[in-house]
Amino acid sequence: MPEWGLPGAAGPEGAFDPMTLPSDDNVNAYTFCVELKGSQWFLQKGKMIAYYGQIDFNGIGHGRFERLIRTSFHSPLHASDWVVAEGSGKMLLADRAFDVNSFDLEDGNLTIRSGNLLAYQPTLALKQSIVPGFLTLIGTGKFVAASNGPVVFMEPPLRVDPQALVGWADCPSPCHHYDHGYMTGVMGGLRSLTGIGGTSGEEHQFEFVGAGTVLLQSTELLMPEQATGAVPHEPGVPGGGSGGGGQHGSTPRMPGQLGDLQRRFGL
Amino acid sequence: MFRLQGSKTLAVDLTGDAVKAKNGSMVAYDGRMAFKKMSGGGEGLRGMVTRRLTGEQMVMMEVKGQGTCYFADRASEINLVSLHSDTLYVEASNLLVTDAGLRTGTSFTGLRGGANGNGLFTTTVEGTGRAAILSDGSAVALRVAPQYPLNVDPGAYIAHQGRLQQHFRSGVNFRTFMGEGSGESFQIRFEGDGLVYVQPSERNTLGGDV
Amino acid sequence: MPFREINSKMVEAVVSPGRKMYSQRGAMLAYRGDVSFTPNIQGGQGGLGSMIGRRVADEAAPLMTVEGSGTVMFGHGGHHIQVIDLAGDTLCVEADRLLAFDGTLQQGTLFLGSQGGVMGMVRGQVTGQGLFTTTLKGHGAVAVMAHGGVIELPITPGRPVHVDPQAYVAHHGDVANKLSTALGWRDMVGRGSGEAFQLELSGNGAVYVQASEEKL
Repeated sequence: MPEWGLPGAAGPEGAFDPMTLPSDDNVNAYTFCVELKGSQWFLQKGKMIAYYGQIDFNGIGHGRFERLIRTSFHSPLHASDWVVAEGSGKMLLADRAFDVNSFDLEDGNLTIRSGNLLAYQPTLALKQSIVPGFLTLIGTGKFVAASNGPVVFMEPPLRVDPQALVGWADCPSPCHHYDHGYMTGVMGGLRSLTGIGGTSGEEHQFEFVGAGTVLLQSTELLMPEQATGAVPHEPGVPGGGSGGGGQHGSTPRMPGQLGDLQRRFGL
Repeated sequence: MFRLQGSKTLAVDLTGDAVKAKNGSMVAYDGRMAFKKMSGGGEGLRGMVTRRLTGEQMVMMEVKGQGTCYFADRASEINLVSLHSDTLYVEASNLLVTDAGLRTGTSFTGLRGGANGNGLFTTTVEGTGRAAILSDGSAVALRVAPQYPLNVDPGAYIAHQGRLQQHFRSGVNFRTFMGEGSGESFQIRFEGDGLVYVQPSERNTLGGDV
Repeated sequence: MPFREINSKMVEAVVSPGRKMYSQRGAMLAYRGDVSFTPNIQGGQGGLGSMIGRRVADEAAPLMTVEGSGTVMFGHGGHHIQVIDLAGDTLCVEADRLLAFDGTLQQGTLFLGSQGGVMGMVRGQVTGQGLFTTTLKGHGAVAVMAHGGVIELPITPGRPVHVDPQAYVAHHGDVANKLSTALGWRDMVGRGSGEAFQLELSGNGAVYVQASEEKL
């Protein structure tokens, strides 16, 4: 961990200024720096933590960016979550102390959970995926994604817990897989009659077959069955249960903000 | 004396001396330790009045003993800061441990965050020595100089050092930037000469207590 | 079977016929091959009595059996995972911190807080922590979760370690535990009344402490 003190003649190690901040690269695992040179980037609201220079942030759908929207943003459902950053300077992006990473798409096609996409260059076009809660990026350009823990890349064939799924690239859309094995037999009958034994929580997964890459993270949602004797203080346990949004466990949030999570995760 | 064990646990080796630490932040220790609650804001009547006025929940404890004491707070990342006869301004809830020789107090920061629930007051740490501050995710230290002022999201701000002026901006730029409930429509602009610490997250501090 | 750490929040394990594993429900992130996940009424070995015992003690340990042939990736809630390999000794761990473990390990429960009686009850209510912890013994690997990761502190004879009960994750070795209220603690008003107590571990072994005082 770097240690800082008051800037001396040479400046402390570990402190950044507009010259030393990286352009379009990670500052640390949780912070990404975008350089704007009179250019634009799309970013999710609330993800900018600091900036140097002269940058304007404007919501989408407020008239000024019609041409930009026509080419680069096609998701009416999520329009209110996004803003356009325009100007010159360096801005830092971060999201709930999640790991952030940038990826380059080259004439590619990537579908990512809306809550995991932080920012992207307007050279990419954003569209809504057929799978609810996911967005598809098409074209060539850079985008920044956030995940709980580093993203793990795997190749199909694979079955994935829905909450662990971040996205998939150049890959056929997944299908649903339901595991009914546990329902059969005496034990299964007992379970469905009395509810004793509960469910394993693994009954449903997304199944990927074919070529391409699947992106995973350690799931961020706590399953309702996991409630132990103690009441968890973490606001990450939403009242909605398995369908609701999730969040990084260590970040307490203002009560008013929880409502946005549902929408953010599109579930 | 201050050692990081991983990035979320601070190990402090004490040989009869003391440190000040955030209440409840001790997770383990060996040897012999004594913990004493201290009152923030100062002693006596003035201290009590200060605390009431500021609403600062800065409750620190004094830890003294022989052995090693381990501190952590909600798995937040720990950042070590050195002070050389200067002052560190830090959100109360983001201060983990300081050398006992450093003086802690509260200071009025003006309208930095009054409107959106951030404390009007912040904790000051003065003197020469080391302190450990917390952040949600590893913090980034950003220099501020007359040629380049800095704009920071209030929820990401943790601490600053140096000769800095803060301006609270609810800029025209943010008219349509209605964020997640609070803090987003506002920005803090830092000008002058110094260092600002930001965290990669937007934890809001309400009256200093998260 | 050993767990392979993919990153700090995800581990991978190979499941083969005849070698099953137990894991916490909902801990599977992805898998390949032909693997089945069956909820476990017994909560592992120990039969019905063990489950009831646990429920009474407020330790909900909903486990599932993972068996078949393939590879499974485990993780949960984005928490940090620590893999502990047991070589014949006993690991004592909070049940809800267990992510997954080798099916060959012998499970049991242990009452933590040997003073028992009133003190144990008080601790249980006050810290919200279960009175019972799970013990795992044998040769095999255990994947344990903690909020923010754990640090391992060695316990040596003559140098006991004191731990905040809410930061306690697990311990192994030949260790005795004692719950006490140290004099100094009474002056401290922490965030929860759990601060009034501390867990003293002595003997020979190691204790895993998490960098947080929050229960998962």
